[in-house]
Amino acid sequence: MTAINHWSNKLFYKKTEIEPLAVFRIVFGLMMFSSTVRFILKGWVKEFYLDPKFHFTYYGFDFIKPFEEFGMNIIFGGLIVCTLLITLGLFYRFGIVTYFILFTYIELIDKTYYLNHYYFISLISFLLIFLPANRYFSLDTYFGICTKKNFTPSWTINVLKIQIGIVYFFAGIAKLNYHWLFEAQPLINWLKHLTDFPILGTFFAEDYVAFIFSWFGAIFDLFIFFILINNKLRIYGYFFVVVFHLMTALMFPIGVFPLVMIGSTLIFFSSNFHKKIISLLSFSMIKNERIPDTKEYELKAFYKPIYKTILITFFIFQLILPFRYLLYPGKLFWTEQGYRFSWRVMLIEKAGYAQFYVHEPVKDRNMVISNKDFLTPQQEKMMATQPDMILQFAHHLSNNFEDSIFYETTGEIINLGKKPKITADVKVALFNKGSRSFIDKKVNLSNEKRGFKNKNWVLPYED
Amino acid sequence: MQLHLVFFFINMKNTINYILSLSFLILIYGCSKQGCMDANALNYDDSANKDDNSCEYTPFDKQALLTNMTENYILPSIQEYKSKIESLDNSINNFTSNPSEENLENVRTEWKNALLTWQDISFINIGVADYSYLINKTNQFPADTTSIDESISSGAWNFDNAQFNSSKGFPALDYLLYKRGLTNSEILTNLSMENAKNYLTAISDDLLQNSIEIHDDWVSKKSEFINNNATDLSGNESSSTGESVSVIINKFCEHYEFWVRRGKLGLPLGKFNQFSGQEMPHLVECYHYGQSLPFLIRSVESIKKYINGFNYTTGIDGPGFDDYMDFVEASFVNSTTSESENLSVAINNQFDEIISKLNALNDPLSVEVVSNKSAVEEAYEPMQDLVPKIKVDMTSALGVLITYADNDGD
Repeated sequence: MTAINHWSNKLFYKKTEIEPLAVFRIVFGLMMFSSTVRFILKGWVKEFYLDPKFHFTYYGFDFIKPFEEFGMNIIFGGLIVCTLLITLGLFYRFGIVTYFILFTYIELIDKTYYLNHYYFISLISFLLIFLPANRYFSLDTYFGICTKKNFTPSWTINVLKIQIGIVYFFAGIAKLNYHWLFEAQPLINWLKHLTDFPILGTFFAEDYVAFIFSWFGAIFDLFIFFILINNKLRIYGYFFVVVFHLMTALMFPIGVFPLVMIGSTLIFFSSNFHKKIISLLSFSMIKNERIPDTKEYELKAFYKPIYKTILITFFIFQLILPFRYLLYPGKLFWTEQGYRFSWRVMLIEKAGYAQFYVHEPVKDRNMVISNKDFLTPQQEKMMATQPDMILQFAHHLSNNFEDSIFYETTGEIINLGKKPKITADVKVALFNKGSRSFIDKKVNLSNEKRGFKNKNWVLPYED
Repeated sequence: MQLHLVFFFINMKNTINYILSLSFLILIYGCSKQGCMDANALNYDDSANKDDNSCEYTPFDKQALLTNMTENYILPSIQEYKSKIESLDNSINNFTSNPSEENLENVRTEWKNALLTWQDISFINIGVADYSYLINKTNQFPADTTSIDESISSGAWNFDNAQFNSSKGFPALDYLLYKRGLTNSEILTNLSMENAKNYLTAISDDLLQNSIEIHDDWVSKKSEFINNNATDLSGNESSSTGESVSVIINKFCEHYEFWVRRGKLGLPLGKFNQFSGQEMPHLVECYHYGQSLPFLIRSVESIKKYINGFNYTTGIDGPGFDDYMDFVEASFVNSTTSESENLSVAINNQFDEIISKLNALNDPLSVEVVSNKSAVEEAYEPMQDLVPKIKVDMTSALGVLITYADNDGD
């Protein structure tokens, strides 16, 4: 017992120098600032949130809706202001709380744009709400909005390390599957298109290279956390972090994710390292601000149990979530039930084609739907391979055509009535092994309920 | 930590399956000769009777593919189209200066030749052709006969306005040269009137101008197009929407699905006519001429040649998407036999099936869709089945993002 106590004291309550937290705040703020600016400059605010007429909301979050152009501009403007407040450590608590809310709101609007690194950013910004990242080298302390602390309990830094560790470790576990390890899928396919990649390109056509990459990726993800927390191995671990993420950045269109991981993993370095960064960043006026003072940041007794409960729940939740897929029958990569929020990064290569039909109630004749009339190309692409989105779109169609009246060229007048029947013929190819029927094309999707129950109208995958 | 790992491993049903099937395989194939069985591979072993996945190939040269497709198909076909349009223009000029039955017949022949050649290039639809809406300006049928009649009687029209897209190009000529219910001499009389002659000249000038525009566009950006074979998957910022292989595939898929499958056959067949599905015979290409199938068949054949990397003039097979699909070992599971075959073979077989089903039909297609509907539907089915094969299997095998938006993945 004493050993465990000793261990947990060291891990969570040891008096620790605060610099790593301040540097993390600045690095995170700057990365979020640049990625928000990039997002805006690419015109994605309009393309992702203003142009689509329909959004694929998350189950249980259907009340989340995008604002009109003015409102969305305010929100993205707000995000930029928040990232600056975070970076400077000015009104930090306000800045990070607002950032977390706005960012998470935007991610909840449409699951078409779900990316693991957006989920990661949401989680980190949530954690940062509870951390005293503004108690050192910040404008908050400079202006005396809050008092400067040179020390902090170790939990404030270690929760971030644990969070990053979870990301890598679970990404590693997700790679321990037959396709990744023994077929080198999907890398084996992707690498073949990169044969004109500088230097390494000539090897990419060789199957063994894909196997080396796959196995290296899996081992890297599984063990990098343990390497990074080891004082002796850390520097080599970080070298691998940089190489690994730079390689993925050069090879695949994964946006700012590599940068985010290269920046975030700096937290693993010693406080001496972070002191050097701060002295590099310091202007003369705030230089040598570390006066010989041993004040430690301490939570008010009232908050302690609250923080403890929130953070423990937060992590337990994350440890369970990636395994929820075990509750569903069928092949995870095919049905994608329990796929998101589990650090499954670049694991599958999937493409689909979905043809929807709306049926008239009397003779059950159908009309072909043009997806383009309702969805953007990106929404259509994501929808065609994911059952929950197929169902959502079917419901949207059913609502859209409710009580619609059609005048036929034969002179007939057709009233679709309440809840018109919707069916879909969907063809999906997984790992380029040939497209096959994805769902039961006879099922009336407007009668199927959304939710976490198993979707038994998804056809089983046969090898 | 190690314990955890073992635990997760045990949970992997697939892993167990793998180990079981591996030991099974070793038992079964222990005494057969293993080796590479693909004759296209560098290390093809003709004595092998069991493929052991050891085939090695030369790295695929995307540059060679783009060079072949651009130099040997795109440029010569567009050159040919331009010269066919020039002949059409000449024949129309001859006709307007000397309206005779013989000259009318010449115009009709040149019109037909030009429209056939148009089928060879319409799906290229890249660059100026794409953003100037060349297809809509050239061959948007059915012709708007009311607008054409009004324009001719009033002597006023404006072809720069997109509203006139259905009043010009090939469909307008189809209407003017072969108008239903009129005898040849009546057509000749109609076309001999000053306004009608001016209208014919305007159509011809418009086609000529557009053909020169796309021709010049391709001549000037040829090397840029060939060199735009991005090194990353679809890459980063600069190249993602521009990567030439992606552009070619996206454009021809879009064209086939919308203009060929839907426009040339699906619409007249009533496939998109709401719930009744009633046939719409007047929507066929060349409704007045009465021959639609040669143009439909030509468009399917040309797409097949194009994606297989055929030389437009000589018909010699060069590097094309079939070779690219073979290089990445793209396979397709045949739904009837449940056997795996090369995707390139599956796609080419699909094209052949479409062509043979279309050959079994008779013109006029506008009559056939009603009187022989089941045969037309039988031809439509393989046309529909080709869509997922090219849009899903082919694009994903070749690492092409079908979406036109540039976005991050993970």
